[in-house]
Amino acid sequence: MTHENDKPRLDREIIAMRVAQELPDGGYVNLGIGIPTLVSSFVPEGRTVFYHSESGVLNCGPLADEGEEDIDLINAGGQFVKPVPGMAFFNSADGFAMIRGGHVDVTVLGAHQVSAKGDIANWMLPQRGVGNVGGAMDLAAGAKDVIVAMEHTDRENHPKIVQVCDLPLTGKECVSLIVTDLAVIRRTTEGLVLEEVAPGWTAEEVQELTGARLTVSPSLREFQL
Amino acid sequence: MTTPSRLDNQQMAQRVFQELRPGSAVALGSGLPGLVAGQARPGSQILFLSEGGGLGYQASAATAGQGQTVVDSGGQGVDLIPGGSMLSTIDVAALVRGGYAGVVVLQPAQVSAQGDFSHWTTAATPGLFSPGWAWDLANGPGRVIAIMGHTRADGSANIVSQCTLPVDGAGCVDIIITDVAVLRVGEEGLVLEEVAPGWQAGDVTAITGAPLILASNLREMSFEPVVAEPPNKVYSSGLAAIHDLPQGATIMIDGFAGLGGMPNYLMVALRDHGVGGLTLISNTAGVARVIGFGTPPGRLAIDHSILVDNHQIKKAVASFPVSPSPSRPSSFELALQRGEVEVEVVPQGTLAERIRAGAAGVAAFYTPTAAGTQLADGKETRVFDGKEYVLEEALRADFCLIRGYKADTLGNVVYKGTSRNFNSVMAPAARITIIEVDQVVEPGELDPEEIVTPGVYIDRIVLRPPDFLGYE
Repeated sequence: MTHENDKPRLDREIIAMRVAQELPDGGYVNLGIGIPTLVSSFVPEGRTVFYHSESGVLNCGPLADEGEEDIDLINAGGQFVKPVPGMAFFNSADGFAMIRGGHVDVTVLGAHQVSAKGDIANWMLPQRGVGNVGGAMDLAAGAKDVIVAMEHTDRENHPKIVQVCDLPLTGKECVSLIVTDLAVIRRTTEGLVLEEVAPGWTAEEVQELTGARLTVSPSLREFQL
Repeated sequence: MTTPSRLDNQQMAQRVFQELRPGSAVALGSGLPGLVAGQARPGSQILFLSEGGGLGYQASAATAGQGQTVVDSGGQGVDLIPGGSMLSTIDVAALVRGGYAGVVVLQPAQVSAQGDFSHWTTAATPGLFSPGWAWDLANGPGRVIAIMGHTRADGSANIVSQCTLPVDGAGCVDIIITDVAVLRVGEEGLVLEEVAPGWQAGDVTAITGAPLILASNLREMSFEPVVAEPPNKVYSSGLAAIHDLPQGATIMIDGFAGLGGMPNYLMVALRDHGVGGLTLISNTAGVARVIGFGTPPGRLAIDHSILVDNHQIKKAVASFPVSPSPSRPSSFELALQRGEVEVEVVPQGTLAERIRAGAAGVAAFYTPTAAGTQLADGKETRVFDGKEYVLEEALRADFCLIRGYKADTLGNVVYKGTSRNFNSVMAPAARITIIEVDQVVEPGELDPEEIVTPGVYIDRIVLRPPDFLGYE
């Protein structure tokens, strides 16, 4: 059971900012919908990241300005994007061959749940009876690194990091890092390791809102931005 | 009595050419088949395919080695014809396996009475077997024509009861055209249908290593080219193009999410055509109508929803079947709640790969995607290198409705930006593929290096009316 804790949590932009630090210079990166989409705004200066989009483009540009929208230039969320030098277009089979073939270095996904073993559930809520899987399962299975960016708990303050997912899975044992509004947690062979906490939060407080046991890193620190 | 003379290589090639139909792709192996390309006349629109990836070529007008960048299967420089294009090696194999090379011409070393063949490389280099693409060609669904000398230099028969050389393809040869005869491989055995001028059936039988059945209409070979009009692929309207799309058909329709790449004009035609019981294979089952994706305010995007609303869809196979927002349900989701439609949710990459497999004559494949999830329930799994993979089966359709930017009248297509998405994946995966384009141009106006979908995959072309909007 978790008890109420109304200390301020980090906002979505800070989560995105923390995730952005994980993106390798020169890396090929696929960003999911939601908080992950915000990550591209916070890539540290001097670092170049190439965005892959399931809409069939590599080196996907930023969002198009109003009045400049081109129906033939969209990202995976269906938003209009700007043309940028060095864009390459391909069809959906090639776009997913890139993912499954291990050519995408990092994907950042949102999630309903992540388990202690690194399973992720993010495509379906059973009460709706049907879900949109889109490219999530291919990304979970194929990207070299899967980073989850999400809120630490759901709207009822239930933990989203759990021992075993009870929602339909997207992928098994694939998540390498979880960045939430409370913590940075890395999955290792020994389980989930708490590496960073939000300012003002203790490891114990984070553990109380987590449904799986966390190992506290000996070098535990405050969020590094 | 003198032995009648045998045909020369050009005459054999002329006889093979009679078997070819305008507008079709014909794969030519190395050796004698290479001469068949030299028989083409302007306008015959036969798309010769070489192992190296040239699709639509003719004998080169230039001196050998003078700037030709396309080679035939024998390594000879050739010229692309207007409307010809270039394929990668995997696309060549996919075209052949997918059944789009209507005719395959090979020069075997031996052919048996059952249509088994041994390729010439086997005989030339015993023990050092290099099949190249012969296996793919012979085992593809296309009609296989063997062009070969009836006997070897020592007089021994090349056409035999059983191959004595290693067999490269079993039961795959349909017609044998030699320097003395035309034989058909029938259920009952080899049928002698034509003899070279001056030859009698008995002369041919005497130098054949298998029994021959004489055709009731046994005749002398002729070498006149058969004149046939190439098919006209350009249709006057969407309705004209889909007139024979039947009730209960399986259809593929492109559309990533919004209006880009979506064949809205053909969708309206399909709604007006009205047939029902359709199984829809598409990335979404129509979400643009509720989400908009750039549709002007107050207007409704034309997407799959118009077919759902018209009760034409029975089932959707999609990765993104419903609206991203449960509070704004799409027509399909409402129909699903009413129990009027079924859905099969497929991960997007698996959907694309299942279509690519269907297009390329591959029955199924293993993918790591969805392993351990409910979308793998009931499917065969297998572990490779310690990782679990799921067996996924190919998808094909009766009709495919797609959208391109420009097509030439032969059906070569270029796309624009992210609107390519599923279009070029689906194009080769249906019995009849219909494309809606913004511009139709003459062969030769598209740069062969930029053609994404070669015309062999496109059956019908419709110009999207310039004043047609993707919303209503």
